[in-house]
Amino acid sequence: MILMENRSVTKQVVVYVTLAFMLLCALFPLYWMINTSFKSQGEIYNLTPNFWPKDFTWAGYDKLFEKGFLKNVKNSLVVSLVVSVFSIAVSMLAAYAISKLKFSGRGVISKGILYAYLMPRSVLFIPLYMLVSALGAGNSIWGLMLIYPTITIPYATWMLISYFKSIPVEIEEAAMIDGCSRSRTLRSIVLPLAAPGLAATFIFSFTLCWSEYLYALVVVTKSADKTITLGLADMIVGDVFAWGPLMGGSIIASIPVVIMYLFTSKYMVSGMTVGGVK
Amino acid sequence: MKIRLDNKLAYLLMSPVLVYLLAIMLLPFGWALYLSFTDKTVGVPAHFIGFGNYIDLLKDSMFWKAVKNTIIFTAVAVVLKSVFGMVMALVLNEKIIFRNLFRVLLFLPWTIPTIVSVFTWQWIYSDVGGVLNYLLLKINAIGRPIGWLAKPDLAMMSVIVVNVWRGIPFMGIAILAGLQSVSKEMYEAAMLDGAGAVKRFFYMTLPSVKEVTILAAVMTTIWTLNDFEIIWLLTRGGPDNGTQVLSTLSYTIGFLNMSLGKAIAIAIMTMPPLIMLINYVTKRSLASAD
Repeated sequence: MILMENRSVTKQVVVYVTLAFMLLCALFPLYWMINTSFKSQGEIYNLTPNFWPKDFTWAGYDKLFEKGFLKNVKNSLVVSLVVSVFSIAVSMLAAYAISKLKFSGRGVISKGILYAYLMPRSVLFIPLYMLVSALGAGNSIWGLMLIYPTITIPYATWMLISYFKSIPVEIEEAAMIDGCSRSRTLRSIVLPLAAPGLAATFIFSFTLCWSEYLYALVVVTKSADKTITLGLADMIVGDVFAWGPLMGGSIIASIPVVIMYLFTSKYMVSGMTVGGVK
Repeated sequence: MKIRLDNKLAYLLMSPVLVYLLAIMLLPFGWALYLSFTDKTVGVPAHFIGFGNYIDLLKDSMFWKAVKNTIIFTAVAVVLKSVFGMVMALVLNEKIIFRNLFRVLLFLPWTIPTIVSVFTWQWIYSDVGGVLNYLLLKINAIGRPIGWLAKPDLAMMSVIVVNVWRGIPFMGIAILAGLQSVSKEMYEAAMLDGAGAVKRFFYMTLPSVKEVTILAAVMTTIWTLNDFEIIWLLTRGGPDNGTQVLSTLSYTIGFLNMSLGKAIAIAIMTMPPLIMLINYVTKRSLASAD
Protein backbone atom coordinates (compact mmCIF):
# COMPACT_ATOMS: atom_id res chain seq x y z
CA MET A 1 0.00 0.00 0.00
CA ILE A 2 2.78 2.43 0.89
CA LEU A 3 4.43 1.71 -2.40
CA MET A 4 1.22 2.57 -4.21
CA GLU A 5 0.83 5.81 -2.29
CA ASN A 6 4.36 6.85 -3.21
CA ARG A 7 3.64 6.05 -6.78
CA SER A 8 0.48 8.12 -6.72
CA VAL A 9 2.35 11.13 -5.27
CA THR A 10 4.87 10.92 -8.10
CA LYS A 11 1.99 10.62 -10.52
CA GLN A 12 0.29 13.70 -9.05
CA VAL A 13 3.47 15.71 -9.48
CA VAL A 14 3.82 14.62 -13.11
CA VAL A 15 0.17 15.44 -13.80
CA TYR A 16 0.30 18.91 -12.28
CA VAL A 17 3.63 19.83 -13.85
CA THR A 18 2.33 18.78 -17.26
CA LEU A 19 -0.88 20.69 -16.67
CA ALA A 20 1.02 23.83 -15.67
CA PHE A 21 3.20 23.60 -18.77
CA MET A 22 0.19 23.16 -21.07
CA LEU A 23 -1.64 26.07 -19.45
CA LEU A 24 1.42 28.25 -19.90
CA CYS A 25 1.67 27.39 -23.61
CA ALA A 26 -2.06 27.81 -24.23
CA LEU A 27 -2.51 31.05 -22.34
CA PHE A 28 0.74 32.97 -22.80
CA PRO A 29 -0.14 34.23 -26.31
CA LEU A 30 -3.56 35.36 -25.08
CA TYR A 31 -2.02 37.13 -22.09
CA TRP A 32 0.51 38.77 -24.39
CA MET A 33 -2.27 40.01 -26.65
CA ILE A 34 -4.04 41.66 -23.71
CA ASN A 35 -0.80 43.05 -22.32
CA THR A 36 0.20 44.61 -25.65
CA SER A 37 -3.20 46.15 -26.33
CA PHE A 38 -2.91 48.43 -23.29
CA LYS A 39 0.61 49.69 -24.00
CA SER A 40 1.58 52.89 -25.75
CA GLN A 41 3.34 52.56 -29.11
CA GLY A 42 6.60 53.55 -27.43
CA GLU A 43 6.33 51.00 -24.66
CA ILE A 44 5.46 48.23 -27.12
CA TYR A 45 8.87 48.54 -28.77
CA ASN A 46 10.83 48.69 -25.51
CA LEU A 47 13.95 46.55 -25.77
CA THR A 48 12.99 44.93 -22.48
CA PRO A 49 9.29 44.16 -22.78
CA ASN A 50 7.18 44.92 -19.70
CA PHE A 51 5.10 42.03 -18.50
CA TRP A 52 2.35 44.45 -17.57
CA PRO A 53 1.83 47.90 -19.12
CA LYS A 54 3.68 50.58 -17.15
CA ASP A 55 1.55 53.39 -18.56
CA PHE A 56 -1.83 51.74 -18.94
CA THR A 57 -3.49 53.35 -21.98
CA TRP A 58 -6.53 52.94 -24.20
CA ALA A 59 -4.71 54.69 -27.06
CA GLY A 60 -4.55 51.52 -29.14
CA TYR A 61 -8.31 51.12 -28.93
CA ASP A 62 -8.90 54.79 -29.76
CA LYS A 63 -6.80 54.43 -32.87
CA LEU A 64 -8.70 51.28 -33.80
CA PHE A 65 -12.03 53.07 -33.74
CA GLU A 66 -10.61 56.05 -35.66
CA LYS A 67 -9.91 53.59 -38.46
CA GLY A 68 -13.59 52.63 -38.59
CA PHE A 69 -13.29 49.30 -36.83
CA LEU A 70 -16.81 49.70 -35.45
CA LYS A 71 -18.12 49.50 -39.02
CA ASN A 72 -16.29 46.17 -39.48
CA VAL A 73 -17.77 44.86 -36.25
CA LYS A 74 -21.25 45.87 -37.37
CA ASN A 75 -20.83 44.22 -40.78
CA SER A 76 -19.70 40.96 -39.19
CA LEU A 77 -22.53 41.08 -36.71
CA VAL A 78 -25.15 41.59 -39.45
CA VAL A 79 -23.76 38.90 -41.75
CA SER A 80 -23.31 36.37 -38.95
CA LEU A 81 -26.78 36.93 -37.51
CA VAL A 82 -28.64 36.88 -40.82
CA VAL A 83 -26.79 33.80 -42.08
CA SER A 84 -27.20 31.90 -38.80
CA VAL A 85 -30.93 32.61 -38.47
CA PHE A 86 -31.56 31.60 -42.07
CA SER A 87 -29.38 28.50 -41.80
CA ILE A 88 -31.00 27.25 -38.61
CA ALA A 89 -34.49 27.81 -39.99
CA VAL A 90 -33.96 25.73 -43.12
CA SER A 91 -31.57 23.20 -41.57
CA MET A 92 -34.10 22.46 -38.84
CA LEU A 93 -36.68 21.32 -41.39
CA ALA A 94 -34.22 19.22 -43.34
CA ALA A 95 -32.77 17.67 -40.19
CA TYR A 96 -36.25 16.77 -38.97
CA ALA A 97 -37.03 15.01 -42.24
CA ILE A 98 -33.72 13.12 -42.30
CA SER A 99 -33.89 12.04 -38.66
CA LYS A 100 -37.58 11.24 -38.30
CA LEU A 101 -39.08 10.34 -41.68
CA LYS A 102 -38.57 7.33 -43.86
CA PHE A 103 -38.10 8.22 -47.51
CA SER A 104 -36.21 6.98 -50.52
CA GLY A 105 -32.79 8.53 -51.00
CA ARG A 106 -32.22 9.19 -47.32
CA GLY A 107 -28.79 7.58 -47.23
CA VAL A 108 -27.54 9.52 -50.24
CA ILE A 109 -28.79 12.82 -48.86
CA SER A 110 -27.28 12.43 -45.41
CA LYS A 111 -24.00 11.44 -47.00
CA GLY A 112 -24.19 14.46 -49.30
CA ILE A 113 -24.71 16.79 -46.35
CA LEU A 114 -21.65 15.41 -44.56
CA TYR A 115 -19.63 15.78 -47.73
CA ALA A 116 -20.72 19.40 -48.01
CA TYR A 117 -19.70 20.01 -44.40
CA LEU A 118 -16.23 18.54 -44.84
CA MET A 119 -15.56 20.15 -48.22
CA PRO A 120 -12.79 22.66 -47.53
CA ARG A 121 -13.06 26.33 -48.34
CA SER A 122 -9.75 26.32 -50.19
CA VAL A 123 -11.40 24.14 -52.85
CA LEU A 124 -14.59 26.16 -53.12
CA PHE A 125 -13.40 29.75 -52.86
CA ILE A 126 -12.82 30.33 -56.58
CA PRO A 127 -16.14 28.83 -57.77
CA LEU A 128 -17.99 30.85 -55.12
CA TYR A 129 -16.11 34.01 -56.00
CA MET A 130 -17.09 33.57 -59.65
CA LEU A 131 -20.70 32.86 -58.72
CA VAL A 132 -20.94 35.98 -56.60
CA SER A 133 -19.36 38.15 -59.30
CA ALA A 134 -21.63 36.69 -61.97
CA LEU A 135 -24.66 37.57 -59.86
CA GLY A 136 -23.38 41.10 -59.35
CA ALA A 137 -23.32 40.61 -55.59
CA GLY A 138 -19.55 40.88 -55.48
CA ASN A 139 -17.89 43.45 -53.31
CA SER A 140 -20.63 43.64 -50.69
CA ILE A 141 -21.86 41.87 -47.60
CA TRP A 142 -24.77 40.60 -49.73
CA GLY A 143 -22.28 38.36 -51.48
CA LEU A 144 -21.15 36.97 -48.15
CA MET A 145 -24.72 36.43 -47.02
CA LEU A 146 -25.29 34.42 -50.18
CA ILE A 147 -22.28 32.10 -49.80
CA TYR A 148 -21.73 31.74 -46.03
CA PRO A 149 -24.64 29.28 -45.75
CA THR A 150 -22.46 26.84 -47.73
CA ILE A 151 -20.47 26.66 -44.49
CA THR A 152 -23.31 26.82 -41.98
CA ILE A 153 -26.17 24.83 -43.56
CA PRO A 154 -24.39 21.47 -43.91
CA TYR A 155 -22.92 21.92 -40.45
CA ALA A 156 -26.20 22.92 -38.79
CA THR A 157 -28.18 20.20 -40.55
CA TRP A 158 -25.73 17.55 -39.44
CA MET A 159 -25.73 18.78 -35.83
CA LEU A 160 -29.51 18.94 -35.66
CA ILE A 161 -29.96 15.47 -37.12
CA SER A 162 -28.19 14.03 -34.09
CA TYR A 163 -30.20 16.21 -31.67
CA PHE A 164 -33.50 15.17 -33.21
CA LYS A 165 -32.42 11.53 -33.14
CA SER A 166 -31.85 11.76 -29.41
CA ILE A 167 -35.54 12.61 -28.88
CA PRO A 168 -37.38 9.31 -28.40
CA VAL A 169 -39.81 8.59 -31.19
CA GLU A 170 -42.34 7.25 -28.61
CA ILE A 171 -43.07 10.79 -27.36
CA GLU A 172 -44.04 11.87 -30.84
CA GLU A 173 -46.07 8.73 -31.50
CA ALA A 174 -48.00 9.27 -28.28
CA ALA A 175 -48.81 12.83 -29.29
CA MET A 176 -49.90 11.74 -32.74
CA ILE A 177 -52.13 8.99 -31.36
CA ASP A 178 -53.70 11.66 -29.16
CA GLY A 179 -54.65 13.43 -32.36
CA CYS A 180 -51.81 15.92 -32.83
CA SER A 181 -50.99 16.65 -36.45
CA ARG A 182 -47.41 16.21 -37.56
CA SER A 183 -46.78 19.93 -37.76
CA ARG A 184 -48.22 20.45 -34.30
CA THR A 185 -46.05 17.62 -32.92
CA LEU A 186 -43.03 19.28 -34.49
CA ARG A 187 -43.90 22.70 -33.09
CA SER A 188 -45.01 21.82 -29.60
CA ILE A 189 -43.00 18.70 -28.81
CA VAL A 190 -39.91 18.17 -30.95
CA LEU A 191 -38.69 21.77 -31.21
CA PRO A 192 -38.98 22.61 -27.48
CA LEU A 193 -37.12 19.40 -26.63
CA ALA A 194 -34.41 20.26 -29.16
CA ALA A 195 -34.13 23.87 -27.95
CA PRO A 196 -30.69 23.52 -26.30
CA GLY A 197 -29.40 21.87 -29.46
CA LEU A 198 -30.87 24.61 -31.61
CA ALA A 199 -29.23 27.26 -29.43
CA ALA A 200 -25.84 25.55 -29.55
CA THR A 201 -26.07 25.10 -33.31
CA PHE A 202 -26.98 28.75 -33.73
CA ILE A 203 -23.98 29.83 -31.68
CA PHE A 204 -21.55 27.65 -33.63
CA SER A 205 -22.94 28.89 -36.93
CA PHE A 206 -22.49 32.44 -35.70
CA THR A 207 -18.85 31.87 -34.74
CA LEU A 208 -18.09 30.15 -38.06
CA CYS A 209 -19.27 33.27 -39.93
CA TRP A 210 -17.70 35.67 -37.45
CA SER A 211 -14.22 34.13 -37.82
CA GLU A 212 -14.32 33.55 -41.58
CA TYR A 213 -11.51 35.13 -43.59
CA LEU A 214 -10.87 33.50 -47.00
CA TYR A 215 -14.31 34.05 -48.58
CA ALA A 216 -14.45 37.60 -47.25
CA LEU A 217 -10.98 38.24 -48.68
CA VAL A 218 -11.94 37.21 -52.21
CA VAL A 219 -15.48 38.65 -52.24
CA VAL A 220 -15.30 42.01 -50.45
CA THR A 221 -12.87 44.75 -51.41
CA LYS A 222 -15.03 47.81 -50.72
CA SER A 223 -13.89 49.18 -47.36
CA ALA A 224 -17.40 50.10 -46.16
CA ASP A 225 -18.45 46.44 -46.42
CA LYS A 226 -15.41 44.80 -44.86
CA THR A 227 -15.94 42.35 -42.03
CA ILE A 228 -14.02 42.18 -38.78
CA THR A 229 -11.39 39.74 -40.08
CA LEU A 230 -10.68 41.93 -43.11
CA GLY A 231 -10.62 45.04 -40.91
CA LEU A 232 -7.98 43.41 -38.75
CA ALA A 233 -5.87 42.33 -41.71
CA ASP A 234 -6.07 45.89 -43.08
CA MET A 235 -4.37 47.24 -39.95
CA ILE A 236 -1.16 46.00 -41.51
CA VAL A 237 0.03 48.47 -44.09
CA GLY A 238 3.03 47.10 -45.93
CA ASP A 239 5.56 46.09 -43.31
CA VAL A 240 4.23 48.46 -40.67
CA PHE A 241 2.51 46.71 -37.82
CA ALA A 242 0.51 48.83 -35.41
CA TRP A 243 0.61 46.16 -32.73
CA GLY A 244 -1.38 48.12 -30.16
CA PRO A 245 -4.54 48.59 -32.25
CA LEU A 246 -4.04 45.16 -33.85
CA MET A 247 -4.02 43.39 -30.48
CA GLY A 248 -6.93 45.52 -29.27
CA GLY A 249 -8.94 44.55 -32.34
CA SER A 250 -7.99 40.91 -31.81
CA ILE A 251 -9.41 41.04 -28.30
CA ILE A 252 -12.64 42.63 -29.50
CA ALA A 253 -12.93 39.96 -32.21
CA SER A 254 -12.38 37.19 -29.65
CA ILE A 255 -14.67 38.30 -26.83
CA PRO A 256 -18.06 37.40 -28.40
CA VAL A 257 -16.95 33.97 -29.60
CA VAL A 258 -15.21 33.09 -26.35
CA ILE A 259 -18.31 34.03 -24.32
CA MET A 260 -20.53 32.02 -26.63
CA TYR A 261 -18.25 28.98 -26.40
CA LEU A 262 -18.27 29.12 -22.62
CA PHE A 263 -22.04 28.67 -22.64
CA THR A 264 -21.99 25.75 -25.02
CA SER A 265 -18.73 23.98 -24.25
CA LYS A 266 -20.50 20.76 -23.39
CA TYR A 267 -22.01 20.49 -26.85
CA MET A 268 -18.73 21.24 -28.51
CA VAL A 269 -17.21 17.82 -29.01
CA SER A 270 -20.18 16.00 -30.46
CA GLY A 271 -20.79 19.00 -32.69
CA MET A 272 -17.30 19.34 -34.05
CA THR A 273 -16.70 15.67 -34.62
CA VAL A 274 -19.90 15.23 -36.63
CA GLY A 275 -21.41 12.93 -34.07
CA GLY A 276 -18.68 10.32 -34.37
CA VAL A 277 -17.60 10.82 -30.78
CA LYS A 278 -20.11 9.79 -28.23
CA MET B 1 -45.72 -1.10 -37.48
CA LYS B 2 -45.72 -1.10 -41.24
CA ILE B 3 -43.08 1.13 -42.74
CA ARG B 4 -44.74 3.90 -44.64
CA LEU B 5 -42.71 6.21 -46.82
CA ASP B 6 -43.17 9.94 -46.35
CA ASN B 7 -41.49 10.92 -49.59
CA LYS B 8 -43.60 13.98 -50.29
CA LEU B 9 -43.37 15.50 -46.84
CA ALA B 10 -39.67 14.69 -46.52
CA TYR B 11 -38.70 16.33 -49.78
CA LEU B 12 -40.92 19.30 -49.05
CA LEU B 13 -39.14 19.86 -45.74
CA MET B 14 -35.71 19.36 -47.25
CA SER B 15 -36.34 21.44 -50.37
CA PRO B 16 -34.85 24.77 -49.13
CA VAL B 17 -31.61 23.07 -48.08
CA LEU B 18 -31.40 20.88 -51.17
CA VAL B 19 -32.14 23.71 -53.59
CA TYR B 20 -29.61 25.97 -51.89
CA LEU B 21 -26.85 23.37 -51.81
CA LEU B 22 -27.44 22.35 -55.42
CA ALA B 23 -27.53 25.95 -56.69
CA ILE B 24 -24.79 27.51 -54.58
CA MET B 25 -22.45 24.60 -54.01
CA LEU B 26 -22.80 21.82 -56.56
CA LEU B 27 -23.53 23.92 -59.64
CA PRO B 28 -20.62 26.38 -59.14
CA PHE B 29 -18.39 23.43 -58.40
CA GLY B 30 -19.37 21.79 -61.68
CA TRP B 31 -18.80 25.04 -63.53
CA ALA B 32 -15.40 25.41 -61.88
CA LEU B 33 -14.50 21.86 -62.85
CA TYR B 34 -15.23 22.81 -66.47
CA LEU B 35 -13.17 26.03 -66.17
CA SER B 36 -10.16 24.04 -64.98
CA PHE B 37 -10.03 22.72 -68.55
CA THR B 38 -9.94 26.25 -69.96
CA ASP B 39 -7.49 29.16 -70.04
CA LYS B 40 -9.92 31.32 -68.02
CA THR B 41 -8.38 34.50 -66.64
CA VAL B 42 -10.15 37.27 -64.75
CA GLY B 43 -12.23 39.38 -67.13
CA VAL B 44 -11.41 37.35 -70.26
CA PRO B 45 -13.69 34.69 -71.83
CA ALA B 46 -12.55 31.10 -71.47
CA HIS B 47 -11.20 28.83 -74.23
CA PHE B 48 -11.22 25.08 -73.85
CA ILE B 49 -7.65 23.76 -73.60
CA GLY B 50 -8.27 20.21 -72.39
CA PHE B 51 -5.75 19.05 -69.82
CA GLY B 52 -3.48 22.04 -70.50
CA ASN B 53 -3.58 23.46 -67.00
CA TYR B 54 -3.02 20.08 -65.40
CA ILE B 55 -0.08 19.27 -67.67
CA ASP B 56 1.43 22.73 -67.04
CA LEU B 57 1.18 22.18 -63.32
CA LEU B 58 2.64 18.69 -63.39
CA LYS B 59 5.65 20.11 -65.26
CA ASP B 60 5.98 23.04 -62.88
CA SER B 61 8.59 22.59 -60.15
CA MET B 62 6.74 25.18 -58.04
CA PHE B 63 3.67 22.93 -57.97
CA TRP B 64 5.74 19.98 -56.76
CA LYS B 65 7.36 22.16 -54.15
CA ALA B 66 3.90 23.13 -52.89
CA VAL B 67 2.90 19.45 -52.83
CA LYS B 68 5.97 18.63 -50.78
CA ASN B 69 5.40 21.55 -48.41
CA THR B 70 1.75 20.63 -47.98
CA ILE B 71 2.67 17.07 -47.04
CA ILE B 72 5.36 18.19 -44.57
CA PHE B 73 3.12 20.85 -43.03
CA THR B 74 0.18 18.46 -42.66
CA ALA B 75 2.09 15.40 -41.47
CA VAL B 76 4.16 17.20 -38.85
CA ALA B 77 1.23 19.29 -37.59
CA VAL B 78 -1.20 16.36 -37.33
CA VAL B 79 1.29 14.14 -35.51
CA LEU B 80 2.14 16.90 -33.02
CA LYS B 81 -1.53 17.76 -32.48
CA SER B 82 -2.38 14.11 -31.86
CA VAL B 83 0.47 13.58 -29.39
CA PHE B 84 -0.14 16.77 -27.41
CA GLY B 85 -3.89 16.26 -27.65
CA MET B 86 -3.42 12.82 -26.10
CA VAL B 87 -1.33 14.33 -23.29
CA MET B 88 -3.96 17.00 -22.70
CA ALA B 89 -6.73 14.39 -22.56
CA LEU B 90 -4.79 12.14 -20.15
CA VAL B 91 -4.09 15.05 -17.80
CA LEU B 92 -7.69 16.28 -17.85
CA ASN B 93 -8.92 12.74 -17.22
CA GLU B 94 -7.10 12.65 -13.86
CA LYS B 95 -8.74 13.72 -10.62
CA ILE B 96 -7.42 17.28 -10.46
CA ILE B 97 -8.72 20.40 -8.77
CA PHE B 98 -10.65 22.91 -10.89
CA ARG B 99 -10.82 20.40 -13.68
CA ASN B 100 -13.64 22.16 -15.53
CA LEU B 101 -11.90 25.51 -15.30
CA PHE B 102 -8.66 24.07 -16.71
CA ARG B 103 -10.57 22.32 -19.47
CA VAL B 104 -12.14 25.62 -20.53
CA LEU B 105 -8.81 27.47 -20.32
CA LEU B 106 -6.98 24.84 -22.37
CA PHE B 107 -9.75 25.05 -24.93
CA LEU B 108 -9.38 28.81 -25.54
CA PRO B 109 -6.81 28.61 -28.37
CA TRP B 110 -9.34 26.67 -30.47
CA THR B 111 -12.18 29.12 -29.89
CA ILE B 112 -10.62 32.43 -30.88
CA PRO B 113 -10.73 33.35 -34.58
CA THR B 114 -7.78 31.97 -36.56
CA ILE B 115 -6.79 35.41 -37.74
CA VAL B 116 -6.44 36.54 -34.13
CA SER B 117 -4.10 33.68 -33.25
CA VAL B 118 -2.06 34.44 -36.35
CA PHE B 119 -1.53 38.11 -35.45
CA THR B 120 -0.74 37.30 -31.84
CA TRP B 121 1.92 34.82 -32.86
CA GLN B 122 3.27 37.15 -35.52
CA TRP B 123 3.84 39.68 -32.76
CA ILE B 124 5.45 37.08 -30.51
CA TYR B 125 7.76 36.02 -33.38
CA SER B 126 8.57 39.61 -34.39
CA ASP B 127 12.28 40.38 -34.75
CA VAL B 128 11.61 43.93 -33.53
CA GLY B 129 10.31 43.83 -29.96
CA GLY B 130 9.11 40.20 -30.17
CA VAL B 131 8.87 38.49 -26.81
CA LEU B 132 10.05 35.06 -27.99
CA ASN B 133 13.51 36.36 -28.91
CA TYR B 134 13.62 38.31 -25.66
CA LEU B 135 12.83 35.27 -23.51
CA LEU B 136 15.18 32.94 -25.37
CA LEU B 137 18.02 35.50 -25.19
CA LYS B 138 17.42 35.91 -21.50
CA ILE B 139 17.79 32.22 -20.72
CA ASN B 140 20.74 32.08 -23.13
CA ALA B 141 19.07 29.57 -25.42
CA ILE B 142 20.05 31.70 -28.42
CA GLY B 143 22.96 34.09 -28.93
CA ARG B 144 21.21 36.72 -31.02
CA PRO B 145 17.67 37.50 -32.16
CA ILE B 146 16.28 35.07 -34.72
CA GLY B 147 14.02 35.98 -37.64
CA TRP B 148 11.49 33.23 -37.04
CA LEU B 149 9.72 33.84 -40.34
CA ALA B 150 12.76 34.92 -42.36
CA LYS B 151 14.34 31.59 -43.37
CA PRO B 152 12.43 28.89 -45.29
CA ASP B 153 12.95 25.99 -42.86
CA LEU B 154 12.48 28.11 -39.78
CA ALA B 155 9.36 29.72 -41.25
CA MET B 156 7.86 26.29 -41.91
CA MET B 157 8.48 25.35 -38.29
CA SER B 158 6.97 28.62 -37.09
CA VAL B 159 3.74 28.25 -39.09
CA ILE B 160 3.42 24.66 -37.90
CA VAL B 161 3.72 25.84 -34.28
CA VAL B 162 0.78 28.23 -34.77
CA ASN B 163 -1.34 25.53 -36.41
CA VAL B 164 -0.50 23.05 -33.64
CA TRP B 165 -1.20 25.61 -30.90
CA ARG B 166 -4.67 26.18 -32.34
CA GLY B 167 -5.39 22.52 -33.06
CA ILE B 168 -4.37 20.71 -29.87
CA PRO B 169 -7.62 21.47 -27.96
CA PHE B 170 -9.82 19.82 -30.59
CA MET B 171 -7.81 16.59 -30.44
CA GLY B 172 -7.58 16.81 -26.66
CA ILE B 173 -11.30 17.21 -26.04
CA ALA B 174 -12.23 14.53 -28.56
CA ILE B 175 -9.85 12.00 -26.98
CA LEU B 176 -11.02 13.03 -23.51
CA ALA B 177 -14.58 12.14 -24.46
CA GLY B 178 -13.32 8.71 -25.48
CA LEU B 179 -11.32 8.28 -22.27
CA GLN B 180 -14.32 9.06 -20.11
CA SER B 181 -16.17 6.10 -21.53
CA VAL B 182 -13.43 3.67 -20.43
CA SER B 183 -14.52 1.82 -17.31
CA LYS B 184 -12.73 2.56 -14.05
CA GLU B 185 -13.05 -1.03 -12.84
CA MET B 186 -10.86 -2.27 -15.63
CA TYR B 187 -8.08 0.08 -14.51
CA GLU B 188 -8.36 -0.88 -10.91
CA ALA B 189 -8.21 -4.54 -11.82
CA ALA B 190 -5.11 -3.94 -13.91
CA MET B 191 -3.48 -1.95 -11.12
CA LEU B 192 -4.10 -4.74 -8.63
CA ASP B 193 -2.54 -7.13 -11.10
CA GLY B 194 0.53 -4.94 -10.91
CA ALA B 195 0.42 -3.46 -14.41
CA GLY B 196 2.59 -0.31 -14.49
CA ALA B 197 1.44 3.04 -15.85
CA VAL B 198 3.24 2.59 -19.17
CA LYS B 199 1.84 -0.88 -19.65
CA ARG B 200 -1.65 0.27 -18.75
CA PHE B 201 -1.41 3.08 -21.27
CA PHE B 202 -0.32 0.89 -24.17
CA TYR B 203 -2.49 -2.13 -23.45
CA MET B 204 -5.67 -0.51 -22.15
CA THR B 205 -5.95 3.23 -22.64
CA LEU B 206 -4.64 3.43 -26.16
CA PRO B 207 -6.73 0.59 -27.65
CA SER B 208 -9.90 1.93 -26.05
CA VAL B 209 -9.52 5.43 -27.52
CA LYS B 210 -7.98 4.30 -30.81
CA GLU B 211 -11.13 4.81 -32.86
CA VAL B 212 -11.94 8.25 -31.51
CA THR B 213 -8.35 9.35 -31.94
CA ILE B 214 -8.16 8.18 -35.53
CA LEU B 215 -11.47 9.84 -36.44
CA ALA B 216 -10.43 13.14 -34.85
CA ALA B 217 -6.99 12.90 -36.48
CA VAL B 218 -8.51 12.31 -39.92
CA MET B 219 -10.79 15.33 -39.52
CA THR B 220 -7.81 17.38 -38.37
CA THR B 221 -5.91 16.18 -41.44
CA ILE B 222 -8.70 17.43 -43.72
CA TRP B 223 -8.57 20.86 -42.08
CA THR B 224 -4.77 21.06 -41.92
CA LEU B 225 -4.35 19.97 -45.53
CA ASN B 226 -6.40 22.98 -46.55
CA ASP B 227 -5.15 25.53 -44.07
CA PHE B 228 -4.87 28.86 -45.83
CA GLU B 229 -5.15 31.64 -43.28
CA ILE B 230 -2.23 30.81 -41.01
CA ILE B 231 0.31 30.47 -43.79
CA TRP B 232 -1.03 33.26 -45.98
CA LEU B 233 -1.14 35.81 -43.18
CA LEU B 234 2.20 34.87 -41.65
CA THR B 235 4.40 34.37 -44.70
CA ARG B 236 2.36 34.70 -47.95
CA GLY B 237 3.95 31.34 -48.82
CA GLY B 238 7.48 32.73 -48.50
CA PRO B 239 10.29 33.23 -47.83
CA ASP B 240 11.56 31.84 -51.12
CA ASN B 241 8.38 29.71 -51.34
CA GLY B 242 9.55 27.81 -48.27
CA THR B 243 6.01 27.68 -46.89
CA GLN B 244 4.15 27.67 -50.21
CA VAL B 245 1.40 25.07 -49.87
CA LEU B 246 -1.30 24.14 -52.39
CA SER B 247 -3.95 26.45 -50.93
CA THR B 248 -1.70 29.51 -50.97
CA LEU B 249 -0.37 28.62 -54.43
CA SER B 250 -3.94 28.34 -55.69
CA TYR B 251 -4.79 31.76 -54.26
CA THR B 252 -1.62 33.33 -55.67
CA ILE B 253 -2.18 31.95 -59.16
CA GLY B 254 -5.90 32.77 -59.13
CA PHE B 255 -5.99 36.22 -57.61
CA LEU B 256 -2.51 37.70 -58.06
CA ASN B 257 -1.73 36.18 -61.48
CA MET B 258 -5.42 36.15 -62.45
CA SER B 259 -5.24 32.62 -63.95
CA LEU B 260 -8.47 31.26 -62.52
CA GLY B 261 -8.51 28.10 -64.65
CA LYS B 262 -5.09 27.04 -63.46
CA ALA B 263 -5.87 27.95 -59.85
CA ILE B 264 -8.96 25.76 -59.92
CA ALA B 265 -6.93 22.92 -61.41
CA ILE B 266 -4.73 23.02 -58.30
CA ALA B 267 -7.79 22.75 -56.06
CA ILE B 268 -9.16 19.88 -58.17
CA MET B 269 -5.90 17.98 -57.87
CA THR B 270 -6.14 18.07 -54.08
CA MET B 271 -9.53 16.37 -54.35
CA PRO B 272 -8.62 12.64 -54.66
CA PRO B 273 -6.80 12.35 -51.29
CA LEU B 274 -9.39 14.65 -49.77
CA ILE B 275 -12.27 12.48 -50.97
CA MET B 276 -10.58 9.42 -49.48
CA LEU B 277 -10.33 11.15 -46.10
CA ILE B 278 -13.88 12.50 -46.26
CA ASN B 279 -15.16 9.05 -47.22
CA TYR B 280 -13.52 7.60 -44.15
CA VAL B 281 -15.17 10.16 -41.84
CA THR B 282 -18.55 9.75 -43.56
CA LYS B 283 -18.45 5.99 -43.22
CA ARG B 284 -17.50 6.14 -39.55
CA SER B 285 -19.95 8.89 -38.65
CA LEU B 286 -22.92 7.44 -40.50
CA ALA B 287 -22.23 4.03 -38.95
CA SER B 288 -22.29 5.44 -35.42
CA ALA B 289 -25.29 7.67 -36.14
CA ASP B 290 -27.59 4.83 -37.13
